Amino acid sequence: MSALSVARPRRAAPAPERGIKRHLRVVQEPRVRHTLLFAIGYLLVAAGLVFAAVTLNALAAADSVAARTLDGQVVEAERTYARLVAEVASLDDPGRIREVAADQLGMVPAEGVRYLELARNLPADGHVAEAVRIGETTDRVKPVLSADR
Amino acid sequence: MRRARGTRTTRDPYARRSLVALVLYLLAFVAVVVRLVDVQVVNAEHYADQGLRQRTRTVELPATRGRVYDREGEVLATSIHSATIYADPRAYLSEERQINGRNVTIPPVVSAEEAAGQLAPLLQREPAWVAEQLRKDLHFVYLGRQLDWEVGDRVLALGLPGVGRLVEPQRVYPGSRLAGQVVGFTGIDGDGLHGLELQHDVLLRGSPGQLAYERAENGLVIPAGLRELVPASPGTDLVLTVDRQIQHVAEQAALEAVREFNAVGAGVVVLEVSTGDVLAMASVPGFDPNDLSTSTPDQRRNRTVTDVFEPGSVQKAVTAAAALEERVVTPETVLQVPDTIRVGNKTFSDAHEHATQPMTFAEIIEASSNVGTIMVAQQLGEQRLARYLDEFGYGRRLGVGFPGEAGGLVLPVDSWWSTSLPTIAIGQGVAVTLLQAASFYATIANDGIATQPRIVRGTVGADGRLAPAQPAEQRTVLRKDTSAAMREILARVVGGERGTGKRAGLSAYRVAGKTGTARKPSPDARGYSGEYVATFVGFAPAEDPEIVVAVMVDEPRPIWGGVVAAPVFAEVMDFALTHRNVAPSASREDLEAAFDRAHLRAELIAAERAAQSEGPATDAEAPGSPPVGTPSGGDGQPVVGTGAAPAAPSG
Repeated sequence: MSALSVARPRRAAPAPERGIKRHLRVVQEPRVRHTLLFAIGYLLVAAGLVFAAVTLNALAAADSVAARTLDGQVVEAERTYARLVAEVASLDDPGRIREVAADQLGMVPAEGVRYLELARNLPADGHVAEAVRIGETTDRVKPVLSADR
Repeated sequence: MRRARGTRTTRDPYARRSLVALVLYLLAFVAVVVRLVDVQVVNAEHYADQGLRQRTRTVELPATRGRVYDREGEVLATSIHSATIYADPRAYLSEERQINGRNVTIPPVVSAEEAAGQLAPLLQREPAWVAEQLRKDLHFVYLGRQLDWEVGDRVLALGLPGVGRLVEPQRVYPGSRLAGQVVGFTGIDGDGLHGLELQHDVLLRGSPGQLAYERAENGLVIPAGLRELVPASPGTDLVLTVDRQIQHVAEQAALEAVREFNAVGAGVVVLEVSTGDVLAMASVPGFDPNDLSTSTPDQRRNRTVTDVFEPGSVQKAVTAAAALEERVVTPETVLQVPDTIRVGNKTFSDAHEHATQPMTFAEIIEASSNVGTIMVAQQLGEQRLARYLDEFGYGRRLGVGFPGEAGGLVLPVDSWWSTSLPTIAIGQGVAVTLLQAASFYATIANDGIATQPRIVRGTVGADGRLAPAQPAEQRTVLRKDTSAAMREILARVVGGERGTGKRAGLSAYRVAGKTGTARKPSPDARGYSGEYVATFVGFAPAEDPEIVVAVMVDEPRPIWGGVVAAPVFAEVMDFALTHRNVAPSASREDLEAAFDRAHLRAELIAAERAAQSEGPATDAEAPGSPPVGTPSGGDGQPVVGTGAAPAAPSG
């Protein structure tokens, strides 16, 4: 008996899909790294930051100088004000006024002073009927703006 | 295994070295980390503080000292900025340097002598003194303190190395001698040393501020660095009760009295009756607080509150008030008064010899009879007199709040001698300050209500307005009728025929007061010296007192209070009343009557002129007739309450 060997049918390999190459892939063109540009950009940003910092510092310094100048002006104004207050008080001294009146202007003390007691103030003085009380006219303390010294 | 061992053997040197290196690195890393933790965490605050301290500079900002104002807001004391010149003497030292291996001496840019020559005229110092300062082995010396600002400008303009200017507050007193002893003065560092400057130093000085800032190594300020400002709190301004105008007049009057009567000193106190406000407190000789170097401690003393004296006959008002209050006598009670009286082992006499005569109690005070006053005091008795001395406040400080205030001297009644009663009754054997004497009379003037005198009216608040001080304490010492009777009796001292205080009289006001001429105790031994104190204390207007003035002249020639002190009283009182717009002692009826008389006279003259045009001249045109519109009283004296301004009406 002859045997016919029959070869085991081979399983047909699946047909490759059309258009797809399994061992190939699309390789994109490698990106060109612009290192120089990147470095330049980095440097620019850094320089910008440094510039901004220096500028802010310079502005602060300028303001500081201006503030110091203003401080100086304030001190100078306060010094002048204090000196003028003392000078006015000195010129206003009763002893000095009497001395000037007597020695320079030849004035003499008044004699025979008479008094007129008014029941009420005169309209010409801008007052109405009520008499002004002594305390209100002679006893006031001048407003002293100590906060503005 | 062998292979592995062999491999290990071949790798050993590298691995071991690597391991050692790794360990070393690790140790170093750990050390760094430990140090880092120490610096950044454990002691972070300490190092931060240390760094900050190296960079930070703190400057103390001096507080502006408060001003002192009079009652009207006029400046009595203020502070200005002055220039203080300093130097760093190291700038005037030669410097030794090694240049190319050789020691070279580099001289200073400007020599000390040359700098001293330029500085001395500006500093008003001897060049030798300035040069000596510049040669000192110090880093800082003062060359001049509290100089004019312009002097500082000129010194800086010289551009001398190491010489600089500091801003320093300087106390100035614009009125110079005005109220010098009252206001007092400060030291060069701004601390109150005398008077109210000392008394209210805490209030006036304020609290200093601070400015902290960072600076670089070269000394420049780091703009973006730390900057902390704690502003200085200025001192509180003080408002006194003193009136600058009245103070000036009081000082001038006292000064003239000292000159005229060759006295060693004088004092004047002016009080407002209703409030106890001290309107003036003058003490002569005075001093200028701006120039302390020329003054003596004696001149700086406010003798009106620090010095006590035996009041003499001024005391009789207190004795009399006690006798009236206890109803021992009335003003009309008549006593037979001899010119001497013996009490214990001592004989007391009147100032002038006279026969025994009947005198009313009012006349006894009017004539200032020692004998009559002693007789009344004997009726009053020791205990009651001592009680009234206590009620008036003898021997106690008034509490006016002035440094060195004296309380006066009075013996406790238990320690009185047999002669104490008559002695004290006439004002010897007790001692008071001038302010106390004024206060006692203010009690009589104020319907028997004693008001504690005060010299500080208030402070200036943050809004720049007056914050009044506490009102003065009051207590009743005498009845109203007693006070009224005393006012009339004391008015007779000035206006009565036998009054000893006629020179205290004023034309426009009725004055009440009492003279005093008291012997001064010997400073070296028991008993009295040959010197006297002349006094006058009184008030006006007598019918409604507004102001009390007390005058004391120390060791005058002549000695009499009525001659020496009374005119000073009159001058000061006249100005004070006018300045305070106190209405004269004339009623409105008098004013209206005066106008009526003036109108009547004007009508008469008009009628006479009309008749004259028709006929011969009349007597109305005779010389001596007062001009039209000049009203006169029946005694030819001008009628007060008429005439020209001041137009401000009284209250």
